Order: sequence, then structure tokens, then C-alpha cells
Amino acid sequence: MASQAASSFNGNVKKALAGLRRINLDGLRWRVFDAKDQVLGRLASQISTVIQGKDKPTYAPNRDDGDMCIVLNAKDISVTGRKLTNKFYRWHTGYVGHLKERSLKDQMAKDPTEVIRKAVLRMLPRNKLRDDRDRKLRIFADSEHPFGDRPLEPYIMPPRRVRELRPRARRAMIRAQKKEELQKQTANETVKGKRRVVKEEVKA
Amino acid sequence: MHKDRILKLAKGFRGRAKNCIRIARERVEKALQYSYRDRRNKKRDMRSLWIQRINAGTRQHGVNYGNFMHGLMKENIQLNRKVLSELSMHEPYSFKALVDISRNAFPGNKNVVLPPKKEGISIVL
Repeated sequence: MASQAASSFNGNVKKALAGLRRINLDGLRWRVFDAKDQVLGRLASQISTVIQGKDKPTYAPNRDDGDMCIVLNAKDISVTGRKLTNKFYRWHTGYVGHLKERSLKDQMAKDPTEVIRKAVLRMLPRNKLRDDRDRKLRIFADSEHPFGDRPLEPYIMPPRRVRELRPRARRAMIRAQKKEELQKQTANETVKGKRRVVKEEVKA
Repeated sequence: MHKDRILKLAKGFRGRAKNCIRIARERVEKALQYSYRDRRNKKRDMRSLWIQRINAGTRQHGVNYGNFMHGLMKENIQLNRKVLSELSMHEPYSFKALVDISRNAFPGNKNVVLPPKKEGISIVL
């Protein structure tokens, strides 16, 4: 199905189209999620409701009726707090003492799509439909995808009520802003100094 | 005979439970206990499914289930959840009319706040 329109997508075309034949695609919509500057867990929660088909009134728990979900800009996902360095993905290989772990930062460097995939998969109910729902989820690290010839619909995230900053976080933010302004001012001053020197030389 | 009746109820069971009377008797007893319990559970499960469907249908129109039901109770509309879920599946226009009635009776609370700047990955990479 991917014609020359997909040739601009440099990535694993085979992996992106894998298993599409297994899914019964009539009547399913193709929803596009833009993960740029979205909080990881909140985005994953919305994706999981769409993947399960829980936003349709014809929901039935015994059959899988969710829409195909395409997630773009997976590398621009954001997390709050210190999760970049402190959130670990752990798994046990089966050998005694071999509990391996990898931090969010390393995982993003290795494969940013895995972060969202794990988040969504762990939010789905653990039943026999979980693998089929996983097949409906396609994640891409940047904004190129080989599904340009399908009828895509962008998904608009519902409006969010963000709590105001805690006092310590607010003070840290103010300090960071002041630091930025100082740096900008010093940069401007040095630039202005150089310009004055060059003008005097030209005049003279 | 009692045995024949039990083996008749054990049709479709796995392994020896459908053939051998000793094992079939245990499994059939368990099956009958489950069916007794589940005749009561089915009513709960169906109501939960209706509520999920109504929730999905109303959220398509921007109202969630709780506010929708509150509005209907205020207007004294006594449609039950079974009928409402059928309407949401098969009669979209009537359902939208109901959602509008509920929204007039009880407007929900919606606060839209722009999210502040959060720590992004692009700083790290």
C-alpha cells in the first residue's frame, strides 16, 4: 500500500507496515497523535482509550474495535520532575541476580519509540486482545510516516487543568529565568562592544 | 439415570471431564455453581457495559457520564441505562438531543488552562 509517497520516509518501512494484513481495517479510523511537548503518561492514557475503542458507543469488551493510532515526534515527549534521570525501566533476564535496568535518558537515546510503547502497553488490560491492540499502534520518532495515502485524522488532546507551580519549583524557575536574562545581557554587551570598535576603525 | 444427565450437562468440557463420570461430576457441580453466581453477575456486568457505552457516546459531544446523568435526573427523565446505551449506539440524533437537554439542565465545569513549560528531551539530546 505504500507507494512513492512513502519514499520520503527513511526508516524501517517493513517494520511500520508489519502485520497490517492481520488487522481487519474496514471502518477503522487512522488517528494521528503528535507527541511533541506532551507529558508521557497523560498522552499514553489517551492513546490507550482510543486503542481499546472506548471512545465509541459500540464498544464491546470481547472484540477489538479500536482505531489505528499513529504517534509522531516520539523523541519530543516530555516528562515532569526528575524522571529523565531517575525513572528506570527494569527487567529480569531469568538468571539469578540478573536484574537489568536502564534509565529514561538511555532508553530515549537508544530507541525513543519504546518509551511510548511501554507506557501504552502497560495501560492496556492484560487479556488476549492486548497483542492485537499492540499491532494497531504505530510509533515514529520524527514526523515522517509512510501512511500518507490513508485518510488520517489528527487527535486533539482534551484541555488540561495544570496545577500552579509549587513554591520551590517556582523559585527555581524564576532563578533560571533571571540567569537567562543575565546571560543575554552579557552577550549583548560583548557584541555591542565589538560593534563600536569596528565602527570607529571604519570611520577613522 | 443420574449419570446420563450429568454426562449430558458435561458436553463440551475439556479432557476426561466430558467422558468419565467421576471427573465429570465434579466439573458439572462447579459449572452449575458458576452459572448460579453468574446469573447474578450478568446483571452487574451488563449495567457496567451500558454505562461505558453511554460514557463514550456523551464524551463525543463533550459531556461526561456523571454530568449527563445528573442533568437527566434534574429534568426527571426516567430512561434507564439500557435504553440510553441502545440510543447512543443506534439513534445518534435522538441521543444528541438528550445530551443537549442534559447540558441545559446542568452545565458542567470546564477549565481550560495552558500548560507551563516542562522539561523536554531536546535539552538532553
